[in-house]
Order: sequence, then structure tokens, then C-alpha cells
Amino acid sequence: MSSLGEEYPDDTLTFMLLAMEQAKVAIDCLEVPVGCVIVEDGKVIASGRNRTTETRNATRHAEMEAIDTLLEQWREKRLSQSEVAKTFSKCKLYVTCEPCIMCAAALSFIGIKEVFYGCGNDKFGGCGSILSLHSSSSEPLISGGAPRVFTSREILMLQSLIGLLLNRQHNEQCSNKVLDFLKVCTSLSSILQDFKTESGWKL
Amino acid sequence: MDTWQILHIPDNPPIAPDQQPTVDVIASLIDPKFANTLVRRLNQISPLENLRHVKRVKKKFVEGGKTQLSVILCLASENGNQLESMQNDVQELMNSYKLSPFITKVCKYAALSKEEWEEQCKLWPTSYHPPTYNIDGITGFSEEDSQSVFRFMKYAIQLAKSSDNLVVNAAVIVDPSVKQVITTACDQTCSSYSPTNKITLETSCCEKLEAFISHSDSDGVLNHQTVHSNSFPDKSKQLCTGVSCLYPWQWADQQSDMSSCYWHPLRHAAIVAIESSAARDRYLFPSLGKIQDKSFEMDNMQSSSAGSPAKRQKTNSTNVHSDDNLTNGEGSSSLSARPYLCTGFDMYLVWEPCIMCAMALVHQRIRRIFFAFPNPDAGALGSVHRLQGETSLNHHYAVFRVLVPQQIFSREG
Repeated sequence: MSSLGEEYPDDTLTFMLLAMEQAKVAIDCLEVPVGCVIVEDGKVIASGRNRTTETRNATRHAEMEAIDTLLEQWREKRLSQSEVAKTFSKCKLYVTCEPCIMCAAALSFIGIKEVFYGCGNDKFGGCGSILSLHSSSSEPLISGGAPRVFTSREILMLQSLIGLLLNRQHNEQCSNKVLDFLKVCTSLSSILQDFKTESGWKL
Repeated sequence: MDTWQILHIPDNPPIAPDQQPTVDVIASLIDPKFANTLVRRLNQISPLENLRHVKRVKKKFVEGGKTQLSVILCLASENGNQLESMQNDVQELMNSYKLSPFITKVCKYAALSKEEWEEQCKLWPTSYHPPTYNIDGITGFSEEDSQSVFRFMKYAIQLAKSSDNLVVNAAVIVDPSVKQVITTACDQTCSSYSPTNKITLETSCCEKLEAFISHSDSDGVLNHQTVHSNSFPDKSKQLCTGVSCLYPWQWADQQSDMSSCYWHPLRHAAIVAIESSAARDRYLFPSLGKIQDKSFEMDNMQSSSAGSPAKRQKTNSTNVHSDDNLTNGEGSSSLSARPYLCTGFDMYLVWEPCIMCAMALVHQRIRRIFFAFPNPDAGALGSVHRLQGETSLNHHYAVFRVLVPQQIFSREG
């Protein structure tokens, strides 16, 4: 951990770890383990995790959950549309897995400032893996600046971090179903590697 | 446009069969008696990973009834210096069989149609596998199925027209096996813009809808002006700016104070319909979910739980107008089988969905999408993106455009 601390600005790592905590909650609920937090001025103002199984709504991804939480908060405060837009433009999203094409578009529509993600998503990724919705030249897809994504080296390190975290917490509880989810849905290849090497599990 | 028509929108934009992209490979004539040995060895040392559709060997009949065989040795490198960049193994093989290599072109991608394949084989033989999935309609609709498609599209257009004060997108999820509406929804972004700073609407679909609005107002069929004159007096100029998928970024430009009204920048019709169908699923098949204490009604209320008086909830089928042929999903014969998400269901949208909605429909496993009007600036099913052609996705739907006759806008369908 100390070596990682030198690699990142402190808060990036902190927020990514909080996102991973959300992914962990998702695992506990037999959901696809993806979690996220939304940060404004260095403070977490919303978090979310996958709820697709529980809701039987395959669009209830962590990002959509967190966005809805925020909109609900702001609705209660009676913020106007332009105030909401302005606040979104100051927010950063930290999510364990690259937003899918749907979520990347949603993040672009709401005009979030930056997106940090842990691992790439080679099946649905909307931030470069399949489509590059964050950097289209034809439309200001993400207003207020391009999202910052991790370099592949950073992603690798985060992946193993996620792997260690999940491994520590869930060595005993993980059902094969969840492992399948891990394998199929989140592309956290290094998690699998860690599970393999450190727990001797057969995957 | 005077008649109804259904057009399949293919996975890939049409390209002329003779203009398919190619790559250079190094090939050589070989003695037929070494063909087996050579091919086996080449498949080991120089597999054609991204060219699985390309056949290794080309057979050509020459004069005197003889056959001439050539084999692909390896991919040609980008720079000119072919022999030096060639793998050692391949070079050795070349030397020991005294091959004389030449550069030739092969088609880069597998053929998607028989026409493409025939054209490909003129360059170098390839294999052709027609699509393994076969979704009804791609090869044409029966008269009965066409009529059913037109009916559901007409219904979606009615919903779009009848929703509150301005034209919005409407979504209808249908179980085609029993020709039954599963759920309906309209946009809930509440994007009722003032007409001052609007994008000029030039697309033909908007003109048509404009025509519709004026007609229907004068006919008194759907008199928006009187119904909503209090809140939106100047609605006649608002047109299609209320269609969320056409202007997904525009909610933020809202100037007027909408704080008293329920709104949400991402509640496009398709998203709301998916939510509603999921709620229906939990209601009809409660035992399979984790949350059994939540009733369907509660769930349905959730989305508009701001408690505002101006609820725009249009998600459940109780809003269905009297169209005797369309029955509600609930409490009817479909109870027996529970599909996984929306597997097997069709989605009718008045406008081509944006990329967010299009991907949401992939996630929810919709089988076919029908839309009436293209979305030139933000459409994801052919206009800007073509999501149905993204092979890496784990689900694929078929996409159709339904051409709608002009008169549907001038009188009640």
C-alpha cells in the first residue's frame, strides 16, 4: 500500500477504495460487483452499486444509482435545472469498472466533470474500449473537461488492489455464481489471478 | 409517403461489395504434393489470427486441366522490407521448399452477405457463414405481422402526441408472441423549453409532427392548447424539443424555474419503459425477487416520489386508451411464462433512441426495435452510432424503421 500511496494523489486512492467498498456491498447482495462514488469539492456526496439482480432491471448500474440518489437529494432542496447542471459539472465519479456505453452516455448527458475508473470493460466499455463516448469530436460529450482515466499501468495496479480487497473479504463467502459474474461481467482479470494464486481456488 | 413500410436496418452500413477493405499477405505457389505438410506447418508457425475467414490455400485451374495451388505464408508487414521482417520459421520453410513469395490482397473482414462473399473470392477465397441468429422479420414480414407492427407503431405515435403539452418520445414494449402490450412510457425529462433559444428543427419528421399538431388542434382531437394553456401558453412552437433522445444534453440549458415540477435528465421514454417492465416482472413473479414486501404500486410510485403535483408518471398500462386490440399485460394469459428481463419482447419507439437508451435496451435483452423517425444528431441505431453492429456486446437485437404514411399526422390514427 505504501508504494501505491506514492503513485497517486491521496484522494484518488481514497475515493477508489470507497468505490470498491460499494462493489463489496454488491457482492454481498449477489449483484455484479461494481461500485462508485460521486465527489464534489473533495467530499463524497453520493455512492452507488449495482442493483440489477434485485430490481430485475439490467440498467440499474452503480452509476445510475448514484446519479438518481443525487437528483433526489437536489430535488428535495428544490434546485433548478441550471443549478443541478452546474453542480454536476463540478462532480467527479470514481467507479471500479469502466462505465458501460449506457452509463458513459448518461455521464456525458449530465455533464459530469471527470471519470476515474479502475479496470477496462472490453465488452461494453463506453470510455474507449468499445465506443469512445467521452472524446467524440462532434459533440461536447462531456462538458467541463475530458474525463481523466487511468493509464493501463495504473489500471493494473488498481485491479490487483481490488483483487486483494475482494479476496480478503470474500474468500469464504464467494459463491461460484459471483465468481462467474466477476469473470464475465467485470473483466477484472487480475482479481481472478489473485484468487488463483493466493487462495488456490479453481476457476 | 403514403403507405406503411418496414425497413430492416442492418448491423453494418451498406458498402459496395467490391469496395471491401483488404490487407496484404505474402503467398507463394506450391507443389500440390506438399500442400498438406505445408499448410499444417504454416498453421502452427504462422496462424492467420484475425483472418479466420480467409482460406489458406487458393486453387486455380490452369490450361490442360491442371490445378495450381498457392498458399498464404504470412501477413505482409506494413513497411516495404518483407523478407527481413518475416519470421525465421517461415523463411526456413520457404527456403527448404524453394518457394517464391509474392504479395497479394485478401479481404480484411468476413463477408456479411452472399454478394460480399462472391466478390471476396475474386481476390482470394474466403469462407462465408450466414448470421447464426435469425430474428423474425430480417428476411421480411408476413402480412399479418406487418399489420401488427403498424398497429403498435400507430399506438406509440398516439402516446407521443397525447402526452401533456408537447411532443415527446414514446416507448411501447410488446410481447409479439401474444401481440400484447407489456408496458408503455413517455419521456419524463420534463424538458419544456421556452421557444426563444431553440435549435431550428428542419428534419422532416418534425415538420410532420408540426403538421399533426396544427391539424389535431383544429380538429379538436387532441387539443393541447386548451388542456395546458395555463402552464405552457406558447406551446405551439415547442415541437420536438421535448423529445429527450433528440436533445439529450439540452436539459441543462433550461432557463425557467422547473423546481416545482418532476424532472430528471435521464428519464428518456425507453429507460422509463424498462423500469416499468421490471416493476411488472417483480409484481407478476414476486417469489423470485429479494424484495417481496414491495408492491407493484409502490414501485411505480417511487419514480415520481418527489411528491410534486405535476407528476408525469406515464409508465403503467392503465393509461392505455381504448384500443380494443391492445390488452394490458397484467392479469392476462402471459402469466405462465416468465421471460428473463425482456427476452423475446419488441420495443416500439417513435424516434430512434440515443446511445444511452440503445445500450439500455441491449442490457434489458430486447429482441427487436422498431422506430418511426431517425435521430440525425444523436441516434444510436444507424444515424450517429450503429450499436446493433457492435459485435463485442453480449446481446444483439434487430432494428427496423417503420415508414409512416403522412395521413397519420392529420387525423386520429
